[in-house]
Amino acid sequence: MDKIFALTKKELHSFFSSPIAYIILIVMLSLFNIFFFLIIDQNREVSLRDVFQLMEFMLVFFIPLLTMRLFSEEKSNGTMEFLLTAPLTLTMIVLGKYFSMLIFFTLLIGLTGTYYLIVEYFGDPDPSSMLTGYLGIWLEGAFFIAVGLLASSWTSNQIIAAMVSYLILFSLYFATSFTQYVSGSAEHFLIQLSTHTHLENFAIGIITPSDVVYYLAGILLCLVLTRLSIDNRLWH
Amino acid sequence: MLIVKHISKNFGSFQALDKVSFEMNKGDIVGLLGKNGAGKTTLMRILTSFITPSSGTVTIDGDDMNKHSLTIRQKIGYLPEKPPLYGDMTVQYYLKFAAEIKGVPKHKRKFQLAKVLQECDLEQVKLKTIATLSKGYKQRVGIAQAIIHEPKLLILDEPTSGLDPMQIQQVLALIKHQQDQRTVLLSTHTLTEIEQVAQRVLMIKSGRIVLDAPLDDLLKGTDPSQSQPLSLEQVFINHHQPQTSENTPQTPETTHQVSHG
Repeated sequence: MDKIFALTKKELHSFFSSPIAYIILIVMLSLFNIFFFLIIDQNREVSLRDVFQLMEFMLVFFIPLLTMRLFSEEKSNGTMEFLLTAPLTLTMIVLGKYFSMLIFFTLLIGLTGTYYLIVEYFGDPDPSSMLTGYLGIWLEGAFFIAVGLLASSWTSNQIIAAMVSYLILFSLYFATSFTQYVSGSAEHFLIQLSTHTHLENFAIGIITPSDVVYYLAGILLCLVLTRLSIDNRLWH
Repeated sequence: MLIVKHISKNFGSFQALDKVSFEMNKGDIVGLLGKNGAGKTTLMRILTSFITPSSGTVTIDGDDMNKHSLTIRQKIGYLPEKPPLYGDMTVQYYLKFAAEIKGVPKHKRKFQLAKVLQECDLEQVKLKTIATLSKGYKQRVGIAQAIIHEPKLLILDEPTSGLDPMQIQQVLALIKHQQDQRTVLLSTHTLTEIEQVAQRVLMIKSGRIVLDAPLDDLLKGTDPSQSQPLSLEQVFINHHQPQTSENTPQTPETTHQVSHG
């Protein structure tokens, strides 16, 4: 556990040593705030349901920027050799990197917690639906980070890593758009594949086992594939 | 201490190593020689568990690499050809991180950090960002990370490449200093460096060990492979000269092609 913590700390240190962490934090929070006020002003509802839906859409754009460097940078700098020859298991390396971005994302989402206080000041919101909405958006972010980590393990080029992440995340997000071309089980599959479908329930205060399993299974699958990817790297 | 038995490595149809076997004892400093593409880096990457061999075994102090990879990596310090450094970290932060992931116990970290900073003469730059350091300092930081966990075997891949003569002498002195504490396998193209620090020479050609002899025996001409005292440079050239059928009978060992690059 000590070694995973050391890796997480190192990732966060590197991330905050560059301006990118602050830029992403400021830009994302600014956009969240602008859309929060626009949505609240337009809907006149004491609910964050539409805010969560919009956050989800913005995460599709921002998460690949967070994750693109995780493995790609190590590969291009030659430091992957340092990690892989140290007494670390592949699981430790994957988890150390994953947790670092999860912590950063939790901080980002945590900072939007003020929305609840603002909404409460103006009305009488349902705290449980707010809480489940936040849980949903956190699980979705955790899933997207795992996807970005996987894409980053495939290449030493950060731009390619980001592009591959975009491709996967857009496919997942817009999966329901393709339902008009198919029917039956294929249509059901696309609906279930879409992240949009699963976040909707959380945003209206419903937690279903299938939604939770969707995110957890997605995270686990991506982490296992990342581990396999660095294990079966070209140099083996 | 280190026993390498019949190690072979294939990359597709290319055979990078062919049944390489040798042993190293505690306190040995062994120079690994060979042309570019001969298989030196592949051999070192196998010894450090970075890549797995196609066949053969590596054991350190009785621990088999295939079964106890983590234990073995704990016993090895490795400096690749390009020092694996994080430019955005300070020297101190990087070495602290190296100590943490290499399993140096918490209560020993401070002591080990101070020790390697002093040993590698990095005290005055410990708070500097690695990206701002000169090549010589970067190389010393690379060596410091390789020895911070007190490994029994130190593997150095061309640790002096690109350094000026003063920096080379400093790095060689540092390597020589390791002899009391650990076994060292040193790869370099500069033969005079081998003559300065090594006691034994391993020469690799087209993935095969073609010479394994004490350095003194080679220089005095007492090694069975030669009839007169020769410089290491001459020994190297002799082993890499193209041999013709007129003066040497061709065997499968002497006809394989030397790869470059």
